[in-house]
Amino acid sequence: MATTPHEHGHNPALLHHFDTPGQQKEAATLGMWAFLVTEIMLFGGIFMAYMVYRWAYPAIWAAAAPHLNTPLATVNTVVLLVSSLTVALSVHAAEAGNKRQLVLLLLVTILLGVTFLGIKFTEYGEKFAHCAGYASPVAWATGGERLAEPECLVPGANFLFPVEALAAEGGVTAAVATAAARPGMKTPHQLFFFLYFCATGLHAIHMIVGITVMSVIAWMASRNRFSPAYFTPVEIGGLYWHLIDIIWVFLFPLFYLV
Amino acid sequence: MSTTALINHYATNRATTASAWLKSWLLTVDHKRIAILYLISINVFFLLGGLAASIVRLELVTPQGDLMSADMYNRMFTLHGVIMVFFFLIPGIPSVLGNFLIPLMIGARDLAFPKLNLLSWYLYMGGGLFALCAAVFGGVDTGWTFYTPFSTSYSNSNVVLTIAGAFVMGFSSILTGLNFIITIHKMRAPGLTWFRLPLFIWAHYATSLIQILATPVVAIALLLVLVERVWHIGVFDPAIGGDPVLYQHLFWFYSHPAVYIMILPAMGVISELIATFSRRRIFGYEFVAFSSIAIAILGFLVWGHHMYVSSQSVYSGLVFGFITMLVAIPSAIKVFNWTATLYKGSISYRTPMLYALGFIGLFIIGGLTGIFLSVVAVDIHVTDTYFVVAHFHYVMVGGTMMAYLGGIHYWWPKMTGRMYNEAWGTISALVVFVGFNLTFFPQFIMGYLGMPRRYHVYPQEFQIYHVMSTAGSTILGIGFVIPLVYLLLSLRYGRLAGDDPWDAPGLEWRTSSPPPTFNFETQPIVTEEAYAFQPEAAHL
Amino acid sequence: MANAHDTGHQGGHDREGNYGHISVRTYWVVFGALMALMVLTVAAWYTQKHFVHLPEIVAVGIAVSIAIAKTTLIIYFFMHVKVSSKLTQIFAVSAFVWLMILFVIVMGDYMARGWPPAKGPLSQVPVPISAAL
Repeated sequence: MATTPHEHGHNPALLHHFDTPGQQKEAATLGMWAFLVTEIMLFGGIFMAYMVYRWAYPAIWAAAAPHLNTPLATVNTVVLLVSSLTVALSVHAAEAGNKRQLVLLLLVTILLGVTFLGIKFTEYGEKFAHCAGYASPVAWATGGERLAEPECLVPGANFLFPVEALAAEGGVTAAVATAAARPGMKTPHQLFFFLYFCATGLHAIHMIVGITVMSVIAWMASRNRFSPAYFTPVEIGGLYWHLIDIIWVFLFPLFYLV
Repeated sequence: MSTTALINHYATNRATTASAWLKSWLLTVDHKRIAILYLISINVFFLLGGLAASIVRLELVTPQGDLMSADMYNRMFTLHGVIMVFFFLIPGIPSVLGNFLIPLMIGARDLAFPKLNLLSWYLYMGGGLFALCAAVFGGVDTGWTFYTPFSTSYSNSNVVLTIAGAFVMGFSSILTGLNFIITIHKMRAPGLTWFRLPLFIWAHYATSLIQILATPVVAIALLLVLVERVWHIGVFDPAIGGDPVLYQHLFWFYSHPAVYIMILPAMGVISELIATFSRRRIFGYEFVAFSSIAIAILGFLVWGHHMYVSSQSVYSGLVFGFITMLVAIPSAIKVFNWTATLYKGSISYRTPMLYALGFIGLFIIGGLTGIFLSVVAVDIHVTDTYFVVAHFHYVMVGGTMMAYLGGIHYWWPKMTGRMYNEAWGTISALVVFVGFNLTFFPQFIMGYLGMPRRYHVYPQEFQIYHVMSTAGSTILGIGFVIPLVYLLLSLRYGRLAGDDPWDAPGLEWRTSSPPPTFNFETQPIVTEEAYAFQPEAAHL
Repeated sequence: MANAHDTGHQGGHDREGNYGHISVRTYWVVFGALMALMVLTVAAWYTQKHFVHLPEIVAVGIAVSIAIAKTTLIIYFFMHVKVSSKLTQIFAVSAFVWLMILFVIVMGDYMARGWPPAKGPLSQVPVPISAAL
């Protein structure tokens, strides 16, 4: 970079093309918000598909949703809400110039994010283990307990919705249900689970990005990169984290509390 | 701050070794250099897309399919569509002219996020590489719209690669839009209030709004198509109760506003050209400014007019048709105000002005046929015929392309410091205008008579129109090659332009040509409205 | 974009990013409210699943309203929209406005024509969903 034509060059955090730190911060925050708008529209496409099909197949939605693990998802909701609090507090700590507290809160946030992903991973593992014919991911890994009734809720060629759940849906005789329930069955149940995997999968990808961002920010914080006058990365990283939380706030009731 | 450091701009590059020179371009965060990277890459894509179009037109000279198979023909027009839409029309004006001029016009030293700007270019190139790979490995035959279930289940071509290309390019577009919005909000020079901004900036602001609000939706739609194609399971699969038309809704939620991504910046360029070459402030400045915003917003409410025959509800069709007609209002406001600006102006018919006048004529035809097509009954009659093809080429080529060329000529002295050859410029503008009309006007007629699009074998009776069209496209092609030659020659032989060759009042002319790295030697302070022409300077 | 809360920067620029402050106490109160809403939504779901059968539209309405309330709290306090510029506030709202455009128009189309096709207003005999099996 050539010398800046402005006399603000003494502030190392101020980029050459901005006039004041305030202008730079405002631009960064607004930029993040504009980015969050695009994120909301991105997830909006999936919510749109969800809305159309839930409206079209309410009975199937009601039958399919109980096959997701609501208690685990509830725990995950708590985990994410707590992480949102720690992020909000970490921005506050950065503003106050409390480095120790800032780093600590960011580390707790990262830990909570990892916990969320761990729980999510367990949920996914359960579904995939069922497809492989095992009762749980642990049984799958160790060659343990087999699944009593065949079931595969991962959409695709092996998709199999349990027979008695099909029969319980109403309007279907046991014979029809048994006839319909064969691997790869082409029913809208697949839509529910496909949307479930797409939405939570995309959310999990954002979570991984969020954890990475938070790790970088925590590292920067530990290297004294922030001060009460400059903590923009903490603030905009926090915005991104809160958005991930908001997406989950909608995914939770729409998939687990049908 | 010495002036010598400022002279270190991109034209007089001081890098001593070839690798340092390459690095100074490929790792630059200077918006002007990035604009030039875009200029080169976008023109390469334009030439490729044009080549595909030429092959399509060549095949259509005779009613038989004698140059290629039906399958090859499908791949060829898809290649033309994908490259022209995603890699020329959508990024064209914003990424080249917008990138170069927005900071200059608002008196800023760069865009708000220079590194993000460079990332946009790399994403654009990455997306382009995917699309080119798809073409090299056999092409894709879905048309640029990737309609399901053909794209997900039946097509035997490189759908995945092409969609990946469009998807990646989408992020380039989003980041460019984001950058522009924040820049226009936060980086304006002191005194530069919203109503002192050039209309070019207003148009780009409206464009950027569309880019960030609409592009993510097509991104997710394309992602879902990818997933469905790769794993054979997805939300658009009718076999499991999914609705392929849902894809069309999500696709056109972006792709209709996307045509305003193409035309709004063009309108911004035209406002600048008309003002400079008639030496008058744009008549009804506020109306032209707000009509950009109105087009951007209304553009989000009309996508269903692409779906009249898709099994969309007839009631939706009627509502979409009605709102589509409303778009004509802000568009007409612009055209009327441009024409009113010409009235009693001191008009000089320089090359950019010729392109601008051509734009107005062609855009009127494109726009009015758009109103025909908004009427459900008429549209159903001409759906998927050459009438539609002619309509959108009048808007896209007659509109965006003319403005792009006009803009390139107008700001060429600013970008390169050299003047192009005015005589050749005049010739090229006329050749393009004649070639364009000869190519596309016959398509209105044959389309109305029932010639369907996307067929390479057709009844004898349409041959005369196809021959005219192909002849026109040859002239048009020549019209595109002429500027390429004399603009490149001007880099070496062109007369030095000076800071302000057009005697125009915009901030971009208040600095050297080409501008120094940080654009201005002293922070400009704006005290008057845009287009404040000095009457005594009307000697051009 | 002049703003009234200029913090008095020396350069005389009017584009500072500071508009106010949210206290730690507020964060905790908001967090408490979020947890309460979460309990409420799970409780509402449990109740309507096991005790009172509500029409689906009501049940979804309750769940989505609670989600919207939680979102509003997060955006307004945790994401500092309360103490941000007008512009940030407009950005935050615009995303949801545009989502509504998408949702309302697309759902309008589906309700007018029906999906699957057998459910549409133009079909004469209503076919149960199970027929899709």
